[in-house]
Amino acid sequence: MQVRVRAFARLREAIGGDLMLEVPTGTTMSRLLAAVGETSEQAKEALFEENGELRGYVILMHNGRRVRRSEAATLTLADGDEVALFPPVAGG
Amino acid sequence: MISVTRDDFDVNAVIDRVRKPDMGALVTFLGVVRDDGGIEEMELEAYEEVAKKEFTTIRDEAFAKYPIAAVEIIHRIGRLRVGENILLIVVGAGHRKEAFDACEYILERIKQSVPIWKKEIGKEGERWVPGEFSGGDA
Repeated sequence: MQVRVRAFARLREAIGGDLMLEVPTGTTMSRLLAAVGETSEQAKEALFEENGELRGYVILMHNGRRVRRSEAATLTLADGDEVALFPPVAGG
Repeated sequence: MISVTRDDFDVNAVIDRVRKPDMGALVTFLGVVRDDGGIEEMELEAYEEVAKKEFTTIRDEAFAKYPIAAVEIIHRIGRLRVGENILLIVVGAGHRKEAFDACEYILERIKQSVPIWKKEIGKEGERWVPGEFSGGDA
């Protein structure tokens, strides 16, 4: 199945823009984040600490709704879903 | 009206669009690009679809919390020079207190949760403005 990954601000620069990832059916948010990290060294470094934990500033969205990082391991994605990754917002 | 746009806006035209005879107060917040020491431009980026939804939610919250009659929010994106307009909030109400309170509420909520980011660009280089709210587990 295909999942669209959108990244913004410094995470967009590190990941290199939006991605369409082909992932197995039943892929979780955590597994997708790992797959994004596997696309490049820069992406991996921007998303993960050295111990493999998701960095504290990364905010997750699934189809336009915020996802708690504690939910990432159990949230199962579906074909056509959109996942967004971004740092704390700074508008206004 | 809520708008995320690359285009500039005419503050007076927006106020005229909002004003009604029963409004005694039209509180306006205008955010502009500040010269923070060597900054020449700012690049504003948004997750547009979500930003528009979030602005709508914030506007609805303001209507639920304060006895106000109208809210207009325009946020610009793209590359803006020092002194250019970024954000316009206009709140129309019968009286000043609720208009000021609602305008401040809307601004603080925008800073908390609308997915927009700013990169400062100057002679010394570029820097993403850090967000005030981590919200990693929000």
